[in-house]
Amino acid sequence: MATPVTDYKVVVRPHCALSPRAMMLVVVCIATFSLLIGIGFSVAGAWLVLPFAGLEVLAIAYAFHYIHCHSGDFESITIEGDRLSIEKHDYKHDSRFVFNRYWAQVFLRALPCGDHSLFLRSHGREVEFGRHFMNNNQRLQLAEQLKKRVGVIT
Amino acid sequence: MSYSATAHHDEHHDHPTGIMRWFTTTNHKDIGTMYLIFSLIMFMVGGFMILAVRAELFQPGMQLMQPEFYNQLIGVHALIMIFAALMPAATGFANWMLPLQLGAPDMALPRLNNWGFWLLPPAAILLTLPFALALIGIGDGAIATGWTFYAPLSTQGGIGVDFAIFAVHILGISSVMGSINVIVTIFNMRAPGMTLMKMPIFAWGWLITAFLLIATIPVLAGAVTMLLTDRHFGTHFFSAAGGGDPILFQHLFWFFGHPEVYIVLLPVWGFMPQILQTFSRKPMYGYKAQVYSLWAIGVLSLVVWAHHFFTVGMPIPALVYFMFSTMAISLPLAVLFFCWIATIWRGSMTFETPMLFAIGWIILFGIGGLTGLVLADVAADAQYHHTYFVVAHFHYTLFAGGIMGIMAGVYYWLPKMTGHMYSETLGKWHFWLTAISFNLTFIPQFFLGLAGMPRRIPDYALQFADFNAVSTVAAFVLGLAQLIFIYNVVQCARGGKKATDRVWEGAEGLEWTLPSPPPYHSFTVQPVIK
Repeated sequence: MATPVTDYKVVVRPHCALSPRAMMLVVVCIATFSLLIGIGFSVAGAWLVLPFAGLEVLAIAYAFHYIHCHSGDFESITIEGDRLSIEKHDYKHDSRFVFNRYWAQVFLRALPCGDHSLFLRSHGREVEFGRHFMNNNQRLQLAEQLKKRVGVIT
Repeated sequence: MSYSATAHHDEHHDHPTGIMRWFTTTNHKDIGTMYLIFSLIMFMVGGFMILAVRAELFQPGMQLMQPEFYNQLIGVHALIMIFAALMPAATGFANWMLPLQLGAPDMALPRLNNWGFWLLPPAAILLTLPFALALIGIGDGAIATGWTFYAPLSTQGGIGVDFAIFAVHILGISSVMGSINVIVTIFNMRAPGMTLMKMPIFAWGWLITAFLLIATIPVLAGAVTMLLTDRHFGTHFFSAAGGGDPILFQHLFWFFGHPEVYIVLLPVWGFMPQILQTFSRKPMYGYKAQVYSLWAIGVLSLVVWAHHFFTVGMPIPALVYFMFSTMAISLPLAVLFFCWIATIWRGSMTFETPMLFAIGWIILFGIGGLTGLVLADVAADAQYHHTYFVVAHFHYTLFAGGIMGIMAGVYYWLPKMTGHMYSETLGKWHFWLTAISFNLTFIPQFFLGLAGMPRRIPDYALQFADFNAVSTVAAFVLGLAQLIFIYNVVQCARGGKKATDRVWEGAEGLEWTLPSPPPYHSFTVQPVIK
């Protein structure tokens, strides 16, 4: 059996300006500095500073951890032969939807704010695409491209 | 094909309308607007309090209030102006402008942003509620220790101290939330191509501010918690009778309190160069020098705290260290002044309201800085400590350097925020009345301080009467001038001449590439910085 050839693929992911290594460096620097101040005042007798410094460091570490966890998120659409698959990765949650390319429909739903959501549907199932990682212009552009490649192609 | 998205966590698909929009919003512009409105309201509340104080000081002797109430007004005025007016104003600008200037769709942690703001109103209520409770016979009024909470006065005070302790805790949590958001946003949400050294200086100013808050808020939180346990749980952290040390409280408080000045000022130093370059129609002078100077000031601000209490009694080496380290701050600050002046030097200047405030700010804040050098001198400080010289100095720093700077920012960005131009005529009236009345309020206080009039005392010797009368009249003019500001801002928000996208001829930066006002979702086309 021949390996299916990918006809079309689009992957969307969030933009992260900071690499995981640099992120770790930032957190370690902040934590070291903040805890040193807390330890210094503890030695001087004001030990109640240290728990607050610790709580704050935990909050900062969690904020960066949260961002890091979601930095690998992505959504993709792959068209191979007559198969259209949509994959979503949201932290630890993966989902995959497979439609028949020629039965799938692409449609846009207007939102009260004037933007549009992009959906793909087939056989009573519909999946939203690009909600988190695409802006309105990008969704409209992608919808145009998909309409040329799925459904009844004329 | 691959998209690298601008929308990091675009959760405003169905943004609510009506009143719920403001309670539940995670949009950076909505939250920024709420911060700025809250700040303006609290600025007026704090202003009314100090006008009552100035009315009392119009003549020697006690006219309008009891000394205890006078002390409460002084303390709550300071806490409100610093924590509930200046800091929220700077945070409001951060919310509005950082995503726009960095090319990000929003702040990195939008829900945290919402919580951070909604902690502020309860804190403001806690600060002022004891005044109302005293009217119905509960407690003896608000905190009367000044904003410094010095022990043992604060360990012996009424319930106003407890209210203030909890208010400070809540305000501190809000500040830390805001700081975390700023740090994560600046590090992680910059548009492709925007390296750290391409960021606007406002982002640098706020990044250093956020680091200072992270470093100092736990110390303040620890200090006031120890105060609380001394008051109610039998500990003796600050009680000399129980083996504690009241001077320790002063160290803790000013370890936070001195950087706090820079926490308020650094964001202003961030956007002021942008205003100067816009209205000089010249590139900013010395970008790198300014960034390095901001860092130097931020670091130095953490190691100079004890100059606030030279007279408490310290070993000579400590006095010498804190004197010279404090004076060392003037070096990077001088670099900043040089860069600001070099930016406008031989520029094609025009004097719209933001530029008037910016020029006035350089001069008046310069006076604040120079008088700070006088106070940094241990020998001179022995005479000036706890006099009106200190009051005048820190108002040149915090009113001229902070509030007038914030006003320059409001006039600069208001057309971008609202989509309308404000009245230039009213803006100029506001500037001139503010600048003249501010000087007439506080220059007499320098002379009062030099002559030895102590601060925080509601009565004074007859020899100080004339300068106090001038100061009080000018303070009321200063207060009335702010009504022009409020009227102008409200009128601008309601309508007026349509602002262009760029607003100002010489404006540079990503925020000016967006429509005025910017759309609810910024940057529908992701900017790439070259």
